Amino acid sequence: MRSQAMFFKARAGDKLADRQLQANLGKAKSRFVEGRAQAVADYDAAPGADFEALRDAASAIRDRVLANLDVWLETFEDKARARGAEVLYARDGAEICRLVVDIARRHGVTKAAKSKSMLSEEAGLNAALAAAGIEPVETDLGEYILQINDNEPPSHIIAPVFHKSKEEVAELFARTHHTPKKDDIAGMAREAREVLREHFLSAEMGISGANFLIAETGSAALVTNEGNGRMVTTLPKVHVVVTGIEKLVPTLEDFSTLMRLLPRSATGQRISNYVSVLTGVKGEDDLDGPEHLYVILVDNGRASLVGTEFEPMLRCIRCGACMNHCPVYQSVGGHAYGWVYPGPMGSVLTPLYTGIDNALDLPHASTLCNQCGVVCPVKIPLPELLRKLREKQVELKLRPWRERLALRLWGWIASRPALYGFAARIAVRYLNRRAGGTDRIGALRAAPDWTAGRDLAAPEGRTFRELYAERIRHEARRKR
Amino acid sequence: MTKEKMRVGLFVTCLVDLMRPRIGFAALRLLEAAGCDVVVPAAQTCCGQPAFNSGDTRVARALALKLIVEFEGLDYVVVPSGSCAGMIRVHYPQLFDDDPAAAARARALAARTFELTDFLVSVLGVAEVPGDFEGTVTYHDSCSGLRELGVKAQPRALLAHMPGVELKEMAASEECCGFGGMFSVKFGDISTRIVDRKCDNIRATGADAVVLGDLGCMLNIEGRLRRRGDERTRVLHVAEVLAGED
Ligand code: SF4
Repeated sequence: MRSQAMFFKARAGDKLADRQLQANLGKAKSRFVEGRAQAVADYDAAPGADFEALRDAASAIRDRVLANLDVWLETFEDKARARGAEVLYARDGAEICRLVVDIARRHGVTKAAKSKSMLSEEAGLNAALAAAGIEPVETDLGEYILQINDNEPPSHIIAPVFHKSKEEVAELFARTHHTPKKDDIAGMAREAREVLREHFLSAEMGISGANFLIAETGSAALVTNEGNGRMVTTLPKVHVVVTGIEKLVPTLEDFSTLMRLLPRSATGQRISNYVSVLTGVKGEDDLDGPEHLYVILVDNGRASLVGTEFEPMLRCIRCGACMNHCPVYQSVGGHAYGWVYPGPMGSVLTPLYTGIDNALDLPHASTLCNQCGVVCPVKIPLPELLRKLREKQVELKLRPWRERLALRLWGWIASRPALYGFAARIAVRYLNRRAGGTDRIGALRAAPDWTAGRDLAAPEGRTFRELYAERIRHEARRKR
Repeated sequence: MTKEKMRVGLFVTCLVDLMRPRIGFAALRLLEAAGCDVVVPAAQTCCGQPAFNSGDTRVARALALKLIVEFEGLDYVVVPSGSCAGMIRVHYPQLFDDDPAAAARARALAARTFELTDFLVSVLGVAEVPGDFEGTVTYHDSCSGLRELGVKAQPRALLAHMPGVELKEMAASEECCGFGGMFSVKFGDISTRIVDRKCDNIRATGADAVVLGDLGCMLNIEGRLRRRGDERTRVLHVAEVLAGED
């Protein structure tokens, strides 16, 4: 997917003006935020259970893997091979596409059924498959809706059509399926299921992501709410898992720890509807399962974060809690962020994966309120990472010169108390003149965006240091 | 023998200095009323937060060192702002990774630095305050004070002791008001959308005043309320309410 992250500000403006989107965001926000809060409270209410301790345990599991990523990858590879899977590595998006198309050609595939995979979004896999004459069919309901809507990108990592209303989807279905317009969600889901059933049965290849890879068993674990993942991974003869190298966990036990956190953080569910642990190819006595299994382990920028100050970002388990709780995401939705990953995690990942100079706004598109850090199940210090990216921008001189100059000037003045006191006096006098005898300023040339939405209260007229110095003189005189 | 008075350094913060000196004096009165010997170092300027959050660590470090020097000799540093207190307490020690001596001084200062209401309640155990506000108030928890310093119960406890004050909690009091320093300058329209939600929640309480502990939030919320045509709801710093009129 080509990144549009450089246009965050302009895109955000459009999204703020989109009334339908705003209404949808409001509803979805309260559902996710309240859902998680309730799930955490319920968890903590059980005797001996402590959600905080669970978060600590989960971060420790993720860190344990990242500390020896190569070793865990080898373990996974050995175990998966022993069960008949072929393990491949892809450096970047182009290589993912090449590998998947090769596999498809080798098996004479003309149609591939897909279950949601963020990495295939990173790679632009659907377009590559289509270009190679292979029809990709998204089977996750949300992804399916986006695909039939002219391959619209997702706006949320677990709820890709977060931004759409029931009404919009109903119209889209009627148009695409040539059926009468439905007005109930169950009816629409049934209609999609009927269309998708055909595809499940005729696809020769299934493509999925993996929420986790389990090293000790060589398994790929898939968490879904719709059950389509099971069809994609069991019906076609060939199954391809495309996932990031950082998705490893050492043991099944570790996997179960993370599974206690993922659905609760994501949707407020205690457990997801479907959890599939896929291990190897179909055995002799097995009734179903793929005859050929490929696991493509993707770097695409991940390995370069290992051992750096940004390594904690690789702990991410893609739950979406950070975006659900982010006031900026809540205001503009996922499309404003311009690439695969939105919200606070996207504001960290997009510059790191697509180039720091390709997403200049994103690290600044946060109030650093730290709601994201508080809810992140694996305790990623998101605000701190955003700030580190801002530092990198300053080091690389990527910020506009006006901003750099203003900061330097401010620093220079603030290091000189006498000058600072003088400058503050001037500033206060200036602002008061702007207020023109009233108690507020309606427009300020230095901060036009700020005063576009608010009045600046006029200063009191004198600075604290002026008044305080006066008071000290007063007292001294009285004492004499 | 009478106990020696605690020497408390008041860090006034640049926004208080520029925009609302009366908040600085209110903090001064509260500390004096609680029996502290208050020192206001004359050379203090800014804690360096704008530079730090903009990624200019060099400037942030220089201003941090300056502040450390000015406040080092005192028993405590008290700040009428959650975000500036958070800057000193949480972020100063991280600024000097490659300078152990400066890091140690930063840590020592951080350990003695408190947000105003936190200091009054947690360190001094103050219950009675001089203020005489009459009316209903609602409290906005500013992000840094709340999530970096754990300031939530302290201002409420002090307000609860004031006979004329009735506290009415707003929905989502812990949600960001959308200020975020330079964020509201760079992304004014997103910030406006966020502060609108805050204004709606404030309005829904029908309170006479929204009370808070951070100048940034104060300018942001007051500015939006007035632009929306709300001339009635007062926006007050917690120090002003607790200290009353001079
Ligand atoms: S950064 Fe944390 S909260 Fe955000 S998606 Fe990843 S795991 Fe979830």
